[in-house]
Amino acid sequence: MKKKIVKDVIFHAVMIILALIWIYPYAWMFISSFKVPNEIFGKFIPSKLTLEHYKFIFFMSKKLERPFIRAFLNSVFISTVVTFSVMFFSSLIAYPLSKLKFGGGKAVFNFIIFQMLFPGFIFIIPLFVLIKKLHLLNTYPALIVPYLMSAWGVFMITQAYKSIPNDYIEAAKIDGARTLWIIFKVLLPLVRGTVSIVGLFTFISIWDNFMWPLIVMKDYNKMPLAVLLATFHHEYAAYVGPLLAGSVLQTIPMIVIFIIFRKQFLKGISMSFK
Amino acid sequence: MSLRRKEKALGWGIVSIYLFYTAIFWGYPFIWMFILAFTKWNFFGKPRFTGFNNFIKLFQDPVFWEVFLNTLRFMLYFLPMVFFGAMLFALALNKMKYFKSFVALSFLVANISSGVAYSIIFQNIFSDIGPINRFLYDHFGVTIPWFSSPSLAMLTIAIMVTWKFVGYYGLILYSGLQAIPKSLYEAAELDGATRWVKFWKITLPLINPAVVTVLILSINLSFGIFTEPYMITGGGPMNKTLTFMMYMYNTAFRRINPSYATALAIVTALINFGIILLVRRTVEKEVSIV
Repeated sequence: MKKKIVKDVIFHAVMIILALIWIYPYAWMFISSFKVPNEIFGKFIPSKLTLEHYKFIFFMSKKLERPFIRAFLNSVFISTVVTFSVMFFSSLIAYPLSKLKFGGGKAVFNFIIFQMLFPGFIFIIPLFVLIKKLHLLNTYPALIVPYLMSAWGVFMITQAYKSIPNDYIEAAKIDGARTLWIIFKVLLPLVRGTVSIVGLFTFISIWDNFMWPLIVMKDYNKMPLAVLLATFHHEYAAYVGPLLAGSVLQTIPMIVIFIIFRKQFLKGISMSFK
Repeated sequence: MSLRRKEKALGWGIVSIYLFYTAIFWGYPFIWMFILAFTKWNFFGKPRFTGFNNFIKLFQDPVFWEVFLNTLRFMLYFLPMVFFGAMLFALALNKMKYFKSFVALSFLVANISSGVAYSIIFQNIFSDIGPINRFLYDHFGVTIPWFSSPSLAMLTIAIMVTWKFVGYYGLILYSGLQAIPKSLYEAAELDGATRWVKFWKITLPLINPAVVTVLILSINLSFGIFTEPYMITGGGPMNKTLTFMMYMYNTAFRRINPSYATALAIVTALINFGIILLVRRTVEKEVSIV
């Protein structure tokens, strides 16, 4: 019995140490961004803390044409608009696909599944051609419009609506509810979990989107933070401190969202193979 | 208007919003993909039809085969590392009694790291004067050229990507484990099954859907690697970390040859799809818990 307890303690200790190793890169980034330059590669625990790297990216980098604060706000703006658009249109379009008999629901739904079979990367160059023809290169719409609706989002919410009994809708109809009321006041609250998973994963993927904005956005003032950070990295790789401060800026919102929505996140993962 | 026709009009009305959008941002690029792949074009003027020329050139292109081998090498490192790592993580998590959510979240938080930011972090952690080499030098008197050695660079990238995905894939396997009824194990124990037998005969067959999901996700990921080599190695040293996505990006936007790059993208997608099909054929099994 005693042997079992010892074994259990060792097992848990090993797992906790592994967990700490897994957070180590984050911890290193975070701590190093407050270190004086010659201590970044020195010791793990700094002898004194400094805000100079943050001052640099917030106030001085403008002279280098690297407006970090603006890029951060660009990222917030782009990710938020796309996330709400995907949540709104997915909830709307899923309704006829799951609840109306209009003689096309099944075909459209199958088409959406067909679309999901294609990897995103084969569309990058042809989509660039389209954005160029629309004269949208180097504008915000180039970063937003291609992502406004998502086949995956429609698919997820259609599946969720299907599990709701039609009685709810019939009851609302008898009360005189209109279509939009039915969708957003009756169905949506019942599938809140799925909608928040769709929103969460959309936000994170747009925040972290890199290749597409790198291609269509050359204007430093409209770049999302990921791209601005990459261009800064390419030209000023020796500025490790400011680079790490920029990385912190890029990482923090995702970590905050992750901690707030961790339950939905875990639920989303367990849904991914059913 | 009858109720039926009203429903029909409403249904098509809403669905047409999606169809209209997808015709522009999916259908139009879809057609252009074929136009590009079978022509020669440099973003200006009129595309010139060249038949299968791009594809023929592609298969004679030594860089294409280099990239192909790089991707296979990446999968050779990445798939076993991430799969066994995720499996051990899932089994361990299933056994833990305390600190379970702390451990799960610590591993999962790696997955939401931004591609650009974590590339910067790992480039510095693995750099010649970075903390890992400092540790190795202090204790073993050696340093490892993680990103500058042609034979190591891809392995180092695979290690980074494994760090990022072990928690995510582990939790997919873990939710598969959770769905197995405990009674099955109890019955097997009555029959005298060892731990090893239980794992091979009960656990592994019953989490088959989760295993297939993890394999598909990790293969797709291998073909989409872009940010890490773009940020850290630029495809080098000696093209050893050049991936399909980097080659596509360079061809289209640096060497201004979008038609060749599109042919490359199509072939990449087909290879990716072929490998997935092969894996499904060999690994996927029908499972039902009676």
